[in-house]
Amino acid sequence: MNEIQISQDIITLAVIRSGIRLATPIILGALGFAICSRAGVLNFAIEGMMLFGAFAAIVAAFLLGNTYLGVVVAILAGGLIGAFFAAVYLKYRVDLVILALALNLFIAEMTVFFLRVVFGAFGSWSDPSIQQLPEINIPLLDQIPILGPLLSGHNIIVYTSWFASFALYVVLFHTRFGRHIRAVGENQSAAETVGIDVARVKIFVLILSGCLAALGGAFLSVGHLTLFTRDMTGGRGWLAVTASLFGLNHPIGVLFTGLFFGFADAFAVRLQTVTDIPPSLVQFLPNVAALVALVLVGARGKLREELARRRFRQRAQQEVAATVVTPAE
Amino acid sequence: MPAVEMQGITKYFASSQVLANDAVDLSVGQGEVHALVGENGAGKTTLMNILFGLTRPDRGTIRLNGTPVQIPHPNEAIRLGIGMVHQHFKLVPSFTVAQNILLGIEPSRYGLLDQRDENAAVKKLADEFGLPVDPAAVVGELSVGLQQRVEILKALQREARILILDEPTAVLTPQEARELFTVIRDLAKRGQTVIFITHKLLEVIEVADQVSVMRAGRMIGSKPVRETNLKEMARMMVGREVLLTVDKKPVEPGEIVLEVEHLLVAGVGGHTAISDLSFNVRAGEIVGIAGVSGNGQTELVDAITGLQPVDGGTIRLLRNEITNQPVGDRREQGMAHIPEDRLRTGLNLETNLDENVIVSRYREPEFQHYGLQDRAHIQKLAEWVVTQFSVASARPGEDIATLSGGNLQKVVLGRELSGSPKLIIANQPTRGLDVGSIEFVHRTLVDARDRGAAVLLISVELDEILALSDRILVLFRGRIAGEFQDEQATKEQLGILMAGGVIEEEAS
Ligand SMILES: Nc1ncnc2c1ncn2[C@@H]1O[C@H](COP(=O)(O)OP(=O)(O)OP(=O)(O)O)[C@@H](O)[C@H]1O
Ligand SMILES: [Mg+2]
Repeated sequence: MNEIQISQDIITLAVIRSGIRLATPIILGALGFAICSRAGVLNFAIEGMMLFGAFAAIVAAFLLGNTYLGVVVAILAGGLIGAFFAAVYLKYRVDLVILALALNLFIAEMTVFFLRVVFGAFGSWSDPSIQQLPEINIPLLDQIPILGPLLSGHNIIVYTSWFASFALYVVLFHTRFGRHIRAVGENQSAAETVGIDVARVKIFVLILSGCLAALGGAFLSVGHLTLFTRDMTGGRGWLAVTASLFGLNHPIGVLFTGLFFGFADAFAVRLQTVTDIPPSLVQFLPNVAALVALVLVGARGKLREELARRRFRQRAQQEVAATVVTPAE
Repeated sequence: MPAVEMQGITKYFASSQVLANDAVDLSVGQGEVHALVGENGAGKTTLMNILFGLTRPDRGTIRLNGTPVQIPHPNEAIRLGIGMVHQHFKLVPSFTVAQNILLGIEPSRYGLLDQRDENAAVKKLADEFGLPVDPAAVVGELSVGLQQRVEILKALQREARILILDEPTAVLTPQEARELFTVIRDLAKRGQTVIFITHKLLEVIEVADQVSVMRAGRMIGSKPVRETNLKEMARMMVGREVLLTVDKKPVEPGEIVLEVEHLLVAGVGGHTAISDLSFNVRAGEIVGIAGVSGNGQTELVDAITGLQPVDGGTIRLLRNEITNQPVGDRREQGMAHIPEDRLRTGLNLETNLDENVIVSRYREPEFQHYGLQDRAHIQKLAEWVVTQFSVASARPGEDIATLSGGNLQKVVLGRELSGSPKLIIANQPTRGLDVGSIEFVHRTLVDARDRGAAVLLISVELDEILALSDRILVLFRGRIAGEFQDEQATKEQLGILMAGGVIEEEAS
């Protein structure tokens, strides 16, 4: 009885809802990383793109006086960063990883710089005129018990992230263009020799991943709170990379691994309020989950091979034993 | 009117300072099977890349059926009905056969694909040309021979009337090669023009109508196959008489160098690759392992050289157990390895000659200077390899990426034989090499044997096994199906055992 009492306390509707919220930027960033990986482009700039989206969204929402417009601007800004990334990578053949690291550092410093110069803010900035993205109640769905309160009443970005997962799945696996993306990623010269425009594919995925990651960033700055703080993504871009790898770069897989990380995060927050476990230990939880996920992904092939090998050894020993028993022909 | 007419094609590669094609003329008739032969680096691939629009010539004209054409890009070549099957296949491994064949020309409705439509289209094509394939099979799981068939179908789907095959048989088993020849002849009968590059002159005689010979960027001559023979073709290729056989001294086996006992190795995915295998190789002898590829050769070599863990049994090198030793330790005890795939395992094409010759020996004190690399010494070794093995157009300190196949193989040979190894594992040492280079490799291996090295030769070429080996083991499904002293073996007997048959014992 006692145990049940505790678990009911720990996992509440609010925790799940906050898990869904926390998962949203991770899902969007992970989709961006996944689509690039499918085209053979290693986009480690998700963190920077996300941060840029967060910044662009809140600034545009303030200047234009409309949060939805702010989100649109963030998406466009993300796409622009993606296009810039693609241009430098394709035109000057700069190493992708180096380029991504440079971009991450540059965006982090640039947002701090503009905060200070334009708004005179140090560290964080907000303005009372900025409206938070409204929550959307889905008719019919919000009538259903449990499911309704869980799934209804989130903002547009949350629903977009779910929709984007399914849309990307259809594009990648059921359209011509998606197949070309995967061909480029797996064997670029095969794609080239049949006349697929490899550069176009890479530009497209980089722009799209910029849009997705920036949308995730917008969720951070105008989706739940209306606030920008320096380095506000705080590693969520990297968590997104992990989620993508853990989801095997599959859009639907990514949706679930993203949710998993979101729940881990929400659960950690919840543990802090209902237990005495030191907060530093609890905050570590999502990162442990990420680490385990990465190790699993890395060792997947090795593990399978090792298991097969072990079975083989057993079988071979039996065989040898059997041939010893039967007299030579 | 010839289907293809190339005139005065000239191509100079400034980066490697090579005149790869020097005013080359080539004329190929419609419906003809045309063999293009020549030494490694003669410029065959370059000429065909020009025809397929992958390389731009500096000078020269191309006519198709009499009409002058410009081919700036493979897309244009495809539009003009030219298809090319590259030596390294251009397939997407995780895609199905149908997805690969239709890549870039997928039928779709509103951008959406229909797997069934695709499979049906490929099935129809395969039936039309009598080239059976399973459209839904995943390409990465197919044998090399079937992958090649997919490549051919890919070209045919794009309505190629002229098919270029660059060394199509280099990666095939003899059986697969035979099937390919039937396919080529059938295609020619239907009026397709086939140009194929090969190093195997026997294949020329077997399938081609016409043969063109290149040497050092020039076209030496073109002849109907009926009017020529092996010896003449070899002479045209190399510019001198070539010994098509190897002469060697009688064998004088010494102590046991390599001893394999009850070896057990799992292949990828855990199937039995090598099962209870025992044999040995003595100093001063060449032991040949014959067998159709895929019968455990790769796993056997990887186990002996330490590239793959052993699942049972023991391996000894000069009485020392090395079963679980790391690669470096084995090499220190005198093992040399000429790997099957020189591009991926044998060499690092992204770095220079020096680093490529030192990779297997950098730990030796001779090449170190207070723990740092001794550059001067390494350079000397690179020079030695270049001169001893006459690696044309290679220079110490320079990149090796653009060397031709034969010259790359010589770099591997030079490196592996430089330290006077006691045991040489030579896996398909002449794959993709021209007759002149093959002669050189064979000579080198026999010299090493005469010097007292133990040589384990693994080859799918029966002629090579028979020419070099003092003792022959036939590998079938991971077991030894038979053992012969050199003189006793005949090609027929080996062939039967390789296919899993049994030789009737005569009264002994
Ligand atoms: N892209 C390139 N850049 C510089 N040099 C090149 C390039 N491609 C080929 N070469 C050089 O041109 C010469 C001819 O090469 P090619 O590949 O045409 O020979 P090949 O006859 O096909 O030889 P093989 O039988 O070994 O395949 C070689 O010396 C090679 O080093
Ligand atoms: Mg070639």
